[in-house]
Amino acid sequence: MRIILKEDFAEFVNTLIKNNSLNVIGVKSKGDKFAFGHLESASELRLDYDVTLLPPKKYFFPQRETLVTYNVANGFSAKDPADIKPMVIIGVHPYDIVALLHMDEIFRETKSDPYYFEKRKASIIIGVNIQKMSKWCFAPYMGCAIIDYGYDLMLTDLGNRYAINIGHAKGEELLMKYAKNVTDALARDIQLVGQKKREIMSMAQQKFDFETELIPELLSKSYGESGFWEKHSEKCLACGSCVLVCPTCYCFDVKDNPDLSLEYGERIRTWDGCLLEDFAKIASGENFRPTRPTRYRHRYFKKGKYLFDRFGFISCVGCGRCSSNCLPDIANPVNLFNDMYHETRSMGVQVAPATEPEVDIQTEGNIDYVPKLATIVKKVPMTAKETFFEIKLDDGSDVDHKPGQFVEVSVFGIGEAPISVSSSPTKKGTFELCVRKVGNVTTKLHTLNAGDKVGVRGPFGNGFDAELLKGKDLLFVAGGLGIAPLRSLFNYVLDNREDYGRVILLYGCKEPRELLFGDELLALAKRDDVEFKPTVDWCPENEVWDGNIGVITTLIPQVNFDPETTYAIVCGPTIMYKFVIADLKSRNVPDNHIILSLERRMKCGVGKCGHCQINQIYVCKDGPVFNYSKIKGVPEAL
Amino acid sequence: MKPKVAFFDFAGCEGDQLQVANLEEELLNLLGQVKVVSFREVMKEHSDNYDIAFIEGSCTRLQDEDRLKQIRKNAKIVVAIGSCATIGGINSLKNYKDLDEVRKTVYGENARLFDTYSARPIDAVIDVDAYVHGCPIDRDEFLQVVKSLLLGKKPDIPNYPVCVECKKNENVCAFERGQFCVGPVTRAGCNSCCVNEGTICWGCRGLVDNPNENSQKEVLIKYGLTVDDAIGKFRLYFGWQERKR
Repeated sequence: MRIILKEDFAEFVNTLIKNNSLNVIGVKSKGDKFAFGHLESASELRLDYDVTLLPPKKYFFPQRETLVTYNVANGFSAKDPADIKPMVIIGVHPYDIVALLHMDEIFRETKSDPYYFEKRKASIIIGVNIQKMSKWCFAPYMGCAIIDYGYDLMLTDLGNRYAINIGHAKGEELLMKYAKNVTDALARDIQLVGQKKREIMSMAQQKFDFETELIPELLSKSYGESGFWEKHSEKCLACGSCVLVCPTCYCFDVKDNPDLSLEYGERIRTWDGCLLEDFAKIASGENFRPTRPTRYRHRYFKKGKYLFDRFGFISCVGCGRCSSNCLPDIANPVNLFNDMYHETRSMGVQVAPATEPEVDIQTEGNIDYVPKLATIVKKVPMTAKETFFEIKLDDGSDVDHKPGQFVEVSVFGIGEAPISVSSSPTKKGTFELCVRKVGNVTTKLHTLNAGDKVGVRGPFGNGFDAELLKGKDLLFVAGGLGIAPLRSLFNYVLDNREDYGRVILLYGCKEPRELLFGDELLALAKRDDVEFKPTVDWCPENEVWDGNIGVITTLIPQVNFDPETTYAIVCGPTIMYKFVIADLKSRNVPDNHIILSLERRMKCGVGKCGHCQINQIYVCKDGPVFNYSKIKGVPEAL
Repeated sequence: MKPKVAFFDFAGCEGDQLQVANLEEELLNLLGQVKVVSFREVMKEHSDNYDIAFIEGSCTRLQDEDRLKQIRKNAKIVVAIGSCATIGGINSLKNYKDLDEVRKTVYGENARLFDTYSARPIDAVIDVDAYVHGCPIDRDEFLQVVKSLLLGKKPDIPNYPVCVECKKNENVCAFERGQFCVGPVTRAGCNSCCVNEGTICWGCRGLVDNPNENSQKEVLIKYGLTVDDAIGKFRLYFGWQERKR
């Protein structure tokens, strides 16, 4: 521990400010509140603050950030290598430092977010121990009020001087290089710092009635508790304030911003929040979390359960910003969890701390937000709404997908949309998409023609496990556009026909004119190694149909199969799953023989942006293909 | 071929067209993409041959409906600009009063010569393809909408409240400054411009799709507004939407 007099510390800060190679940031006053901002002088520093309006995450994951620029003539390119000045951020409270450590893990998982880490690596964090605690703060209960890691330097106010704990060599170097009159701490000062820390631990005005390590288990027992979430969210304005000010929230949206020439533009990510009404809404208009109680519940589960199960930490540091920003005063986690605790107890339910989850975070390489340029080589209108595209990557590579994976397709100036690859990986040189016109990207895509350029990222997701299915009988059940992702596996199976047992395809759509891949299906009918049954919900008078009429489930009784050797592979509109699954189960198909491909709003494709999340699962990363046995207990899945 | 563009106005202050005229340099860039064939505020010429019609102002008289319908017939795309056109705006305040009284107040002795009916946004009369909200409209958002239309994209108008932008801009909440704001139920897209300047959100962009109005009114009252004042806060811009809901 070192000691520096306050006037010498001010001198140190002013020296840093004068050094043009550094961007010096500190806590300043803003009205009656405080905010991190660029420092012009050490005199602006307010290290006696209670809490800042926004956490310092804004310097690493800004409110608005360019990911990619594009030029219609040349395609997409990464943002210019950022001219990032090393940042020194002065006055970060311990809870906000813990929050940054959470963000580090989240942005590192699976693939690292380069934009976050380029800034994170270029930063020096000078923390300060809490002097005044916001009345909403409960950081002591979350173990985040005092820390001995995560900072480069940590200050403790000792009246006319600061005690400085050195957390990292970067901090020590900065101190050695720019600060004068730094001395070693005497025993008296070390004792004083210990005393200050003990005081901090008893400063919180918000009080939990129980040990916060119970939170994950308490949540598990309260998910479906009748009326609980409705009661607490009744006054929710769905304004998103609670999540936007949160130091551990990381959901984002991505948008294209063309300039007026329409030739150039940038792709921007902005903060988003799961409390907002359209957060889980997809282009077709379907909203997977349409009500306030479900979104309100999702926030608490994400913080207290889903991230705990994934990373082993409760993703709340107790800063109290959500509570202080909620006008109807319903966002205070302390109130909610205390109420949950007492209700659970009153029902006689015993809650023990959750066993430590097995955390296995793998990370490999960086996320690539830059789409590859690709050319439409063939376009065939299929129905009034669906068009078939054959696409070739301009660099000559294969998209290299597994059956069931998807790509993010970019249209200049419009944006990106997730679309399942419809061709088998056995098809080389090009890949195929069957695209329904629903949102902006797909509508624009329909106006493009052979020779036109698009962008492609991916493939993303897990895809079907074609190996696992080897030697098995396969029952494909496709509804409407669900045939598109299934076709990648179906064609793969046909190309490796000897590896699989029986192949049955049940395919239903609303009416004959909506049938996709009609020519291919006709050819199937002629094969004796494939059993194919189509159906339509109805047939208008002016159309011809001599097959089955009725919804897809009317086909299931028409086929015989051995449930022990058969795997059912199901894809279709959301409503279809529960009926098809019920019928398969009544035919004794075991749960783990049912494989589903789900659709959600997949914006980033790499498990970061949060839009596709169903309970603890990221559809884009953990799916879109799921074994039914794994998701049958996931309430938001089906 | 550049799309042909025309501007029209109904009951309103023409402040939105003024925002367009004030685009200055950007206006010249915009003119590289479109041909303006009618814009009373900046030019004498007029043509009824246009692709995109921008309409400012509310419909406040039965006979205005014919003109609106004619514009709809001529244009491929109709864009409502400004609160009066998009949500009925402050014109709708009169809908809560006796219309004969209103006429007398405005036109005095000659009131009988001037017809009137409840003020309404133009989508109460004709189909509208896109909206540029605000009182007045924001120039950048106007350009965003134009760019979207030129690209064949549905303009991206947020369905979340102004609080989202306010938080991103790190404003001190108006309520914490002792003021009363309807930002929590008002459609964002303005980048919380009024609160950024230290005032409040008056609600000029209208309500989000599913506002929690009861909770917002409770908040206004909890922070010290009378019930009447809270209702007044809502009526200023939400008058038409509230009646419709």
